[in-house]
Amino acid sequence: MWVKDLLDVTGKELRSILSDVGVLVFFIIVPVLYPLLYAYLYGREVVREVPVVVVDECRSATSREFLRKCDATPDLRIISYCSDMEEARNLIHRHKAYGLIHIPSEFENTLVQGLQSTVNLYCDMSGLLYYKALLSGCTMVSLDMNRDIQMVRLSGLSDREKDVMTMPIENEYVTMFNPVNGFQAFLIPAILILVLQQTLILGVSMLAGTEAERRRSGQLILGHEYDNPITVLGGKALAYLLVYGFTATYVLCFVPWLFHMPQLWQLPTLVAFVVPFLLASIFFAICISFFVRDRESCFLLFVFVSVPLIFMSGISWPTSNMPAFWKVLAQFFPSTHGVNGFARINTSGALLQDVRMESLSLWILTGIYFMLSLFIYERMYRSDKMPGVEFVLAMRTHARKNLREMSRDIKSRLKK
Amino acid sequence: MFGTKQGFWAIVRREIVRMQSRPLYGLSMIFAPLFCFVFFTTLMGEGLPESLPAGVVDEDNTSVSRSILRNLDSYQQTEIIKQYPDFAHAREAMQRNEIYGFFYIPKGTQEKASSQQQPKISIYTNGTYLIPSSLLYRDMKTMAVMASAAVGREILLAKGANMDQAMGFLQPIKMDMRPLGNPWLNYNVYLTNTILPAVLALMILMVTCFSIHTELKDNTAREWISMANDNILKAVSAKLFPQTMTFVLMALIYLVLLYGWLGFPHNNGFLPMFVAAVLLILASQGFAVFIASAIPSLRWSLSLCTLWGVLSIPISGFSFPVMGMPDALQALSYLFPLRYYFLIYVDQALNGIPLYYSAWFYVALLAFTIMPLVDIHLLRKAAHEYTYLP
Repeated sequence: MWVKDLLDVTGKELRSILSDVGVLVFFIIVPVLYPLLYAYLYGREVVREVPVVVVDECRSATSREFLRKCDATPDLRIISYCSDMEEARNLIHRHKAYGLIHIPSEFENTLVQGLQSTVNLYCDMSGLLYYKALLSGCTMVSLDMNRDIQMVRLSGLSDREKDVMTMPIENEYVTMFNPVNGFQAFLIPAILILVLQQTLILGVSMLAGTEAERRRSGQLILGHEYDNPITVLGGKALAYLLVYGFTATYVLCFVPWLFHMPQLWQLPTLVAFVVPFLLASIFFAICISFFVRDRESCFLLFVFVSVPLIFMSGISWPTSNMPAFWKVLAQFFPSTHGVNGFARINTSGALLQDVRMESLSLWILTGIYFMLSLFIYERMYRSDKMPGVEFVLAMRTHARKNLREMSRDIKSRLKK
Repeated sequence: MFGTKQGFWAIVRREIVRMQSRPLYGLSMIFAPLFCFVFFTTLMGEGLPESLPAGVVDEDNTSVSRSILRNLDSYQQTEIIKQYPDFAHAREAMQRNEIYGFFYIPKGTQEKASSQQQPKISIYTNGTYLIPSSLLYRDMKTMAVMASAAVGREILLAKGANMDQAMGFLQPIKMDMRPLGNPWLNYNVYLTNTILPAVLALMILMVTCFSIHTELKDNTAREWISMANDNILKAVSAKLFPQTMTFVLMALIYLVLLYGWLGFPHNNGFLPMFVAAVLLILASQGFAVFIASAIPSLRWSLSLCTLWGVLSIPISGFSFPVMGMPDALQALSYLFPLRYYFLIYVDQALNGIPLYYSAWFYVALLAFTIMPLVDIHLLRKAAHEYTYLP
């Protein structure tokens, strides 16, 4: 009869989810809107046209050519030609510009002498992307101009010979899986996974908080009419899994598609990976929801955790360079494995065998948190820490049994 | 003044008792920020990641290719952990996350280089992990250019040029990059300076909203406000006073941790940042009271405060610049206290420019602080008429 009981619990849990706006916000509204907001925020992937100022002390044809070409790169935009460093600095201090290109007065002379000439770049370090834009923009221009200068100096040789002299070994660069090397493709997969885990924790905790509040006021709560705790736990987990089947499909498949992000996953791999992730998250959520005593405290307890969790996953600061302690701690959160696995399945087209470590870890976490929640569940609900509850329950069951017997009695009498 | 059942200090004492009675307050006001302070500063303790695992595919296997690899391995940020027989194996290793990038040297590189046929070597990095990918790229690119330059330099030296002339020929224009304020490109400086106050501000927004609305939920609001003679402004400020003090203490801890213990740049000294942190605390409290008064529902106002606190992290623009966001969000960024704190940090700690430039940012934080004056009367009304809806 445990299947019927299990489905019974699932049905009741689904009903209590659907009738609770607070929980629906976490299970549906946040997962629907939040990823859209983030994907929109990082939609431009990289910064283009970073405003810079220029101090050109050389004022020669070559320096002007250099600056013109810098302005023409997609990375940079020259907003002002300043007469001295003081003026340029003032613009940076006012957050009008984020970089300064300084061309010294001897710039062209040095070049004409056939020696190496230097351009000074100063960068505001409030964002590393400014640094990247300034450096890559100017480097591109300098490589380009260097080649032109070399060509002139090598006049008399054939074009092919010039090529070989200027660049004996060529090189090319490919950022695999993230063509523009942008923020969206790199950060959004991690955020999607984290949204799933965190909303599960918040929603389940809110449900648990509601139960705790009701228990304190002596009301009956779900689960006590069934004698096997596994049934209750399994039934609840099934209910969450059903809801998150839809939520996860939307979050992991629809959102990346909507924003034209890389999506290299293959369906069997994705399903085989996401199921243990959801299970691990569900039992993790159930486990920690036992510590919640009222509906709203989940906000204060669990929201901030998202910030360290995203760093623990190693999507930003590389795992290989984390202190061992944090690396070990990170293993206990489903999101760590979820982010790493999903990022690679989604963005770099990894197959199940490529993420087998992550997948295995998620199954292990599922097992651990299932056992743990079972253990706490047993202790919590059968302990005599909560006087009154048991009594109320016993009375209820007793009353129900009586009612059933009475109705049977009446029926049989009527038949007679 | 103490001991009476009325007035500012009576409410303060009442609030301290309330805070002590629930572990929730201790967890969210002290433990959560402390955990994050320790977590972030130790996580990125290296500053700039070193010895990132990388691979090579050396199909050439000659003295030239080996010297390239040897040089690459000597870079601080790159560590060649494995050689792969071909491209497919290296790509799979990347998909398994064993390496963040690899160098591909095709067959015949040396032969082509010496017969002047211009061979091509390739750099591949895993863009799924942006930071290690960008750092590896920098090392590998330098290495590739150097390898090329080395060949070219040999040719030129052989033709009788001296070193200066050779470099002047190979790289006529050189870039000299000077990152202001953070010359080490230290990620710890770059991220923790804003993440730590961000977490603190998030907790403040939530705790403030939560503690006010639980009064309503538990039906203690009338008692609380009557203790201030029905003066709502006095009631709220007295209630929040012990929380403010706790948060100021937390702010002091992270400021001392960052600027004292770790010695991060604080070019204008400790004081401008301390004032900024105190104002951030007051601004967050002000904003939370504003929301709590405007929305008479614990869950909805708490949800909005949470959203604001979480969203302030990306929208303050410390990792992805505000100028790269869509226009609507650029405008929205002005409504987040953390944005102004970040701008003050850039001016006062990182760049160390005169206080005059940041004056308006301090004023903006003050404006958030007095925001509740607009709608706090609604809270008083709510306290008299409120019924809790789950």
